[in-house]
Amino acid sequence: MTRAVYLAGGGLCCAAGSTPAAVAETLADSPGRPAAGALSLGERRFPYAALPGPLPLDADDWLKRAEAACRRAVAPLGELPGEVPLFFASSSFQIGHFEAQPAPRDLPPACASFVGRVAGWLGLNGVRHSFSNACISGQQAIQAAAAQIADGSIDDALVLGCELYNRSTAAGFAGMGLLSPTACRPFDRDRDGLVLGEAVAALQLSARPAGWRLAAVDSALDAFSPTGPTPDGSRIAALLATCLAEAVLLPADIDLIKLHAAGSPTNDPAEANALRTVFGNAMPPLCSLKGSLGHALGASGVAETVALLACLDAGFVPPTAGFVTPDPEISLQPAVDRSRRPVRRVLLNGIGFGGGLAAMIVERSA
Amino acid sequence: MIDLALFHQTLAPAALGDEVRALLGKPLRRASLFAQLAACGAWRLIPAERRGWPTALLWQSTSGPRGETLTLLDEMDGAGEPMPFDFLAAQPAIAAAQLQPLLPGLTHSLHCPLDRCDAADWSLLLGLAVDRLTGGKSRQVLCAHLDAWDDRLIAHWLLLSAEPLENPAWRLHLQEQPPVATSGLPDTPDLPARLSAAPQARLTLATAQPAPRTLEFVRCPTHIGN
Repeated sequence: MTRAVYLAGGGLCCAAGSTPAAVAETLADSPGRPAAGALSLGERRFPYAALPGPLPLDADDWLKRAEAACRRAVAPLGELPGEVPLFFASSSFQIGHFEAQPAPRDLPPACASFVGRVAGWLGLNGVRHSFSNACISGQQAIQAAAAQIADGSIDDALVLGCELYNRSTAAGFAGMGLLSPTACRPFDRDRDGLVLGEAVAALQLSARPAGWRLAAVDSALDAFSPTGPTPDGSRIAALLATCLAEAVLLPADIDLIKLHAAGSPTNDPAEANALRTVFGNAMPPLCSLKGSLGHALGASGVAETVALLACLDAGFVPPTAGFVTPDPEISLQPAVDRSRRPVRRVLLNGIGFGGGLAAMIVERSA
Repeated sequence: MIDLALFHQTLAPAALGDEVRALLGKPLRRASLFAQLAACGAWRLIPAERRGWPTALLWQSTSGPRGETLTLLDEMDGAGEPMPFDFLAAQPAIAAAQLQPLLPGLTHSLHCPLDRCDAADWSLLLGLAVDRLTGGKSRQVLCAHLDAWDDRLIAHWLLLSAEPLENPAWRLHLQEQPPVATSGLPDTPDLPARLSAAPQARLTLATAQPAPRTLEFVRCPTHIGN
């Protein structure tokens, strides 16, 4: 059995707002409003796209804050059946909670036990699946959920991307020199690294027809280096071509590309090379959301999908915050002005720490 | 029809380096524990001539990188920034990237951490594996459950191939009908070991949710070692 898979609803709690509509409103005016907040590591400070409100004070506070964010993220979906399967994506799970505990720490035996706690908060008692593959965790959760809907195993799925405050991830990225000390500048000549962010994002996938259909989703591995893909972008290009073939579409059918574009000095050019390989001189309009939302790592795939569709449903393509000066090496320019051009099909690209690549195509179903 | 090979091992943590050297002929310097464990399984199950075939690695873990995570947290308590190597070792996503140079055909990786000790997600992994094989996205798929506890390393492996294996232990049939609720192997981490020890000729995998199709394991009568 192969059934169509629809994106039936979304919720999002992130630096730009606590509902998809609020996020869309923020993104509509985001140029010049880079993600606010800061994260301190010793004497170093980095911009950080935190959820609204103060950062957690201790381990209990971390959990309360996580529960509140999860509840806010699913609230727009209304009452969910308790048995709806949960597909949970994160790169850090509850490590922020562990950080706040005094040593010696007693980690639970099952590394993803946090997911059971989240399900309890949300009143979900169905099957749970967890995905942790760095920045493409969310897309892989969507892919797995979609596969089960397509083959008739399930009719609905809740995909929840969750990336919450922790210093371990930030310190790890900082230690490898991957964080920007100033701002996220996607595809910009002066880009100097990532800005991390928090997000909890909910996406309801369903076999029941809804406004957007998942036309294709796939992921791949490019182990050129632990932190980035092959510079010529060939592996990314191959994945994009696979997705287009799966969706039975041509490059010219794509109306908009949501870039990964995290502001990385090395990964942004690789992504641009891949796009040139696939789209040549007929490049669709480009946008990146990380200048506004920060990079929510394991939640980013779900969060950026929900945020983008909220904007498109509101009738506009969001401008790219942080892009100012074109880079001759990249020679592609994401849009910096809000546009009301019609968008029927969107390609969403993702690049992950550890060599993960992901791509999705969504299209209006009506 | 999909051929299956299986393998399972339990090692003392201190024995992993010797196991890697014995199999690969060299140590895997700076490779995470999971990457080394994965290399051992991949090397045992995939013949040299198949290591360049488009391959997917779908793996799950109950323990996760437990020791590395504790090390990372201890480092955060001290100087406030972890050593990059310790941070990388605590990231499960890195394992596949470190494995790919040894397994050039590895083009896809998925990692599922588990939230319970008494249950696994083989039904999800095998379903995704069958989709990849029947859809032509991979020629072979490695499915694994890998755990790294303080006193032991545990690896359970299934290799699925849509092309005949030389000496398959079982074949996987996909039946377009719901599984019988009262029978079937439980979806637990040690599924390959249970398969290996099972006297039956046919077995199904119990699923945690109603399913429209059944994954049935059929023993290969000529398998050497059964």
